[in-house]
Amino acid sequence: MPRAFVRFAVRRTLLAALTVLLVSSAAMALVRLAPGDALSDFEMSLEAAAAERERLGLDAPFLTQYAAWLGRAIRLDFGQSLKYRRPVQDLIGERVGNTVLLGASALLLATLIGLPAGILTGSRRGPLASLARGVSFALLSIPPLVTSFVLLLFAAATGLFPVGGMGALPGGGSIEVARYLALPCLAIALPMAAVIERLQSEAVRDALADPSVRAARARGCSRARLVWRHARRLSLKPVIALYGVLVGTVLSGSFVVEIVMAWPGLGALTYEALVARDLYLVAGCAAAGALCLSAGVLASDLALAVADPRVTEPS
Amino acid sequence: MTPFSPRCDPACRRPENGRAALMVLVVTALSVVALAFWFARRPAGPGILQEITPGGEIVASIRSDPSTYNRYAPGGANAATELLSLLLHARLIRVDRATDELEPMLAEGWTRSDDGLTYTVRLRPGIAFSDGRPFTSADVLFSFRVAYDDGVRSPVRSAVEINGKPIEVSAPDDLTVVLRLPEPYAPGLRLLDNLPILPRHRLEGALGEGRFADAWSPSRPLDEIAGLGPFVLAEHVSGQRLVLTRNPQYFRRDASGVQLPYLDRLTLAVVPDQTAEALRLEAGETDLMYSGEIRPQDYASFQRAAGDGRLRLLDVGVGLDPDFLSFNLRPERARDPRAAWLLRREFRQAVSWAVDRQAIADTVYLGAAVPVSGPITPGNRTWHAPDLPAHPHDPARARALLASLGLEDRDGDGMLDDARGAPVRFSILTQAGHNRERVSTVVQEQLRQIGMAVDVVTMDPRGLFARWNAGDYDAMYFGLQASSTDPWLVPEFWLSSGAFHFWHPKQARPATEWEARIDALMRDHAGEADLDRRRQAFTDVQRLFAEQLPSIYFVAPRVTLATSARVLNPTPAPQIPQLLWSADTLAVSGPRR
Amino acid sequence: MTLPPRRAAGAALLGIVAAAAAGADLLQVHPSARQFRDFVYAPPMPPRIVDAGGRLRPPFVYPLRLEDRLERRFVEDRAQPMPLRLFSGGALLAADGPSPWFPLGTDGLGRDVLSRLVRGARTSLGVAFLASAGALLLGAVAGALAGYAGGRLDDGLMWAADFVMALPAIYVVLALRAAAPLVLGAAEVFWTMAAVFILAGWPLAARTVRAVVAAERTREYAEAARSIGAGTVRLLLRHLLPAAHGILAAQAALLLPGFILAEATLSFVGLGFGEPIPSWGLMLQDAGRGRALAEAPWLLAPAGAIALVVFAVNLVASERASGASPRYSRDKSLW
Repeated sequence: MPRAFVRFAVRRTLLAALTVLLVSSAAMALVRLAPGDALSDFEMSLEAAAAERERLGLDAPFLTQYAAWLGRAIRLDFGQSLKYRRPVQDLIGERVGNTVLLGASALLLATLIGLPAGILTGSRRGPLASLARGVSFALLSIPPLVTSFVLLLFAAATGLFPVGGMGALPGGGSIEVARYLALPCLAIALPMAAVIERLQSEAVRDALADPSVRAARARGCSRARLVWRHARRLSLKPVIALYGVLVGTVLSGSFVVEIVMAWPGLGALTYEALVARDLYLVAGCAAAGALCLSAGVLASDLALAVADPRVTEPS
Repeated sequence: MTPFSPRCDPACRRPENGRAALMVLVVTALSVVALAFWFARRPAGPGILQEITPGGEIVASIRSDPSTYNRYAPGGANAATELLSLLLHARLIRVDRATDELEPMLAEGWTRSDDGLTYTVRLRPGIAFSDGRPFTSADVLFSFRVAYDDGVRSPVRSAVEINGKPIEVSAPDDLTVVLRLPEPYAPGLRLLDNLPILPRHRLEGALGEGRFADAWSPSRPLDEIAGLGPFVLAEHVSGQRLVLTRNPQYFRRDASGVQLPYLDRLTLAVVPDQTAEALRLEAGETDLMYSGEIRPQDYASFQRAAGDGRLRLLDVGVGLDPDFLSFNLRPERARDPRAAWLLRREFRQAVSWAVDRQAIADTVYLGAAVPVSGPITPGNRTWHAPDLPAHPHDPARARALLASLGLEDRDGDGMLDDARGAPVRFSILTQAGHNRERVSTVVQEQLRQIGMAVDVVTMDPRGLFARWNAGDYDAMYFGLQASSTDPWLVPEFWLSSGAFHFWHPKQARPATEWEARIDALMRDHAGEADLDRRRQAFTDVQRLFAEQLPSIYFVAPRVTLATSARVLNPTPAPQIPQLLWSADTLAVSGPRR
Repeated sequence: MTLPPRRAAGAALLGIVAAAAAGADLLQVHPSARQFRDFVYAPPMPPRIVDAGGRLRPPFVYPLRLEDRLERRFVEDRAQPMPLRLFSGGALLAADGPSPWFPLGTDGLGRDVLSRLVRGARTSLGVAFLASAGALLLGAVAGALAGYAGGRLDDGLMWAADFVMALPAIYVVLALRAAAPLVLGAAEVFWTMAAVFILAGWPLAARTVRAVVAAERTREYAEAARSIGAGTVRLLLRHLLPAAHGILAAQAALLLPGFILAEATLSFVGLGFGEPIPSWGLMLQDAGRGRALAEAPWLLAPAGAIALVVFAVNLVASERASGASPRYSRDKSLW
């Protein structure tokens, strides 16, 4: 493995770790700035709230709190959730798997739909391509929030799919989980497929105009080979480059879908943590989200570097 | 033919028949009396439906899962934990929410001393916790001890204190508890409805070692919990569901001797979104909702589902605890440049006259709400005062009141200005994404029509609390749920010294003459044994409230509950949880689908 | 030079939308804040030209009557058609009669949906367009610099982009709102929202442009241009950036509806336009809450409007300007 590549990978990994740390610290600081804290509740008596605040150390100045948290975080102990009274790691561990399952399957489905569709619309002009393009435009303008509600209504009306939730435990019947997964996955995958289709379509069009492809054509390559061999290889690079960004989009899209469809994932937890002003859970969720994002971006950058090692060189 | 002597013709009625007649009459009377005695001595059990077969499961949806299973722990005041305590634990005496009467549960009966200060409660014999250990008066003493413990700082504490003082509890024997109240207390043992009984053998150690708050938290094994309630917590998958199974040791039986609960299993599914919750109920995936009322915009489709026979709708009447528009009347508000009119009673009265309550009922609740003028609605049958001064929509009167404060349209732009020419403008803080936001919008529009500019600022609930606590708001449109229908059990709202005396909490001395009068009325009748006299006093309180209007009440929604068609024998009540408060008498007609 | 037909169509659509937004006062049939208590969730009342008897008439509308409030049942009164009039009562089109005219029905508080739609176009579309343009611009600059320079600048800028993407924007807004005064004017909300969106949205564009530029700068034509002395800026502007053209357009299509909906999320934590200023994001959120598709599909009108706008943007961006770079001469011989 070339040294430049290794250096590149190491550099990126360190930066990712730094990002995770800074994002979780920033999230904690920001939520602390907001009005109200974990015990601001009309349902709790003010004395009990004050006593709890003291017991949990919430009335300490922020820097003291932060220093304590940092000290524990370095030892990979992210504290206890104020709302759930359980270790933050456990809560996040339960939920992050669900989000990754949802996000990964959505991304996979979106790619499986979007990539071929993009190649189709980028290389042809017929009615089929126009239809595909039209559907893609339509899906592009419908945000995940609306698709979630449409799918929920579809589920309630037809009874083919359960109306939200996650039902059976993972590992205890994957068919069951797949039924519950189908709709949230679709809600994210459909708009995402449209994005991938558009990106791939543009990339294919550019690739087909590339001199190497024209040369191949001049050599007498069949149309199908032109598209599916030469142009595809060229067009893949820009799309791979953007996969990191797509991971980010899927993550933020999944937040909305999780809440609406009662899918117990990281997005739902982040929202609850915000509403409950649960500082340590907020930090943990932000860290987990940053980790997922950094991992996705890193993977995408590494893939790009493999595809085109020139990217790793400075100008 | 007479019944006494078929062979004798009416002309010859002999004296023996008369004696026989008398005998039969006497025997009949005696048997009737004996029967009456027999029925009266039977323990009052819940009514039964002959068609109920025990068994089956129900799925109920709740909005969020509990952060602790321990109602006495500081975090135990939230809705999910309270629901669990209703299902896992029992009380000595409970308020039957359908009738608002006291009902003996773990207690068999009680006597009250003449001075009203001492109650002797007899416990039912032969009751055991879900782990088999017997229930005795020591558990009751322990529960009180935890509630009053300074180290625990339990939210239950204020519910079993009288005017801030604890009750002296003692147990002369295993089946008797003597409660000595610090001062005469009119609601009496009603406060025991808020005290679930804890198992001493399970929690005494944790209390002694100072780790009570962490006992029965989700990080501990579930079998550490033991209770006297109808169910046992079998499983909790965070963010998804809680599964409760029947407690084989549950003490309650129905009137025909069948052991309760009827259900084998009760699953609480966590569904954070209200629309998804309604959809799941309609689709038949859940059987009822924890907060079981239908939103007005869902009514049409629920009606259709009921017509198809998939759902059943139950009308519970007018709800309790309506939302209110409360103005900030704390003394530091006097520094606000608008204090000359914003803090005045005439201003609040003008707002009340200017708002068309029926329009709010029609627009936001689609007609399924009634106009109200105070915190006690017709749904609270015992305490509602029917002939309070009401303010039907009268913009002219509102304008006149505002003019008397010097607020007129001085520059012809249609909006009112004060004496210095500054516009009449204030902000209403309310909860984002909630019906409260919609009502605030309607109120904003109506006040605009008489020339007042209102800004509606929405926030999440904790932000709202922070602003309220800091006194940093003009007006807030919000709602509080009272822990009881009896106002003397909610002193934190009615007394000026109360922590939730919303418009001006925790006053050292009553700030106004009318608040002093309300305080006096409440205090003077705190020990009043006669319910009618207490009700009369409280009617006076409500009248004062309606005249001064520190908080303005607009409408109270009519509550319609929905259950799946499988659910049998529901006992609907207006307070949340409308159906699960009596989960032990719920039954189902058959398996799902 | 004449614009290619698709671009022209797209531009025309956008122009119509802009005109509608600007001329909202003319287009709205009723004041957008007016609540009609007897017409909550009323269905749309489409103009007709053929009446019940099959006769042709000048355009008219049948009035609506409330039959059951709770079940939201309305019935058309076929006996009293209301003729449509041009330029009456301050509106472009109006109808007078036994009931008000709601071309697109009413929402959950009895407010005319069309009036709220055109009124809200200014604020919602305005913020979304401004923010998208700003995010794309900022992102393009950052991404171009990063992609071209490589090395530390690249690392630093991309790391900043990742940081911003990973930090949930809603936390920032929560803190921001706490610092701001309780009551915010519409203009203040507008600019704050636009700023928040631009800061939240630039990483996406930056990463995209950076990927494209990084790939392009090593290609032969770029080397060629450099070798004949083209400066960095000229290289970027005329050769490298246009390569990202189409992909940026796809991103704009993604950002625009995203920002409109983000508006609704922001108002949950307190940064919103505040009633009664209509906001498309909030209208959609309310529609979602009320099971709109099954029972009141007209509440999804903002989704239709968003789709239209995004479609128009896609049309405008789909044909690249010819002559921008030697690579992009349209070669039709392949088709």
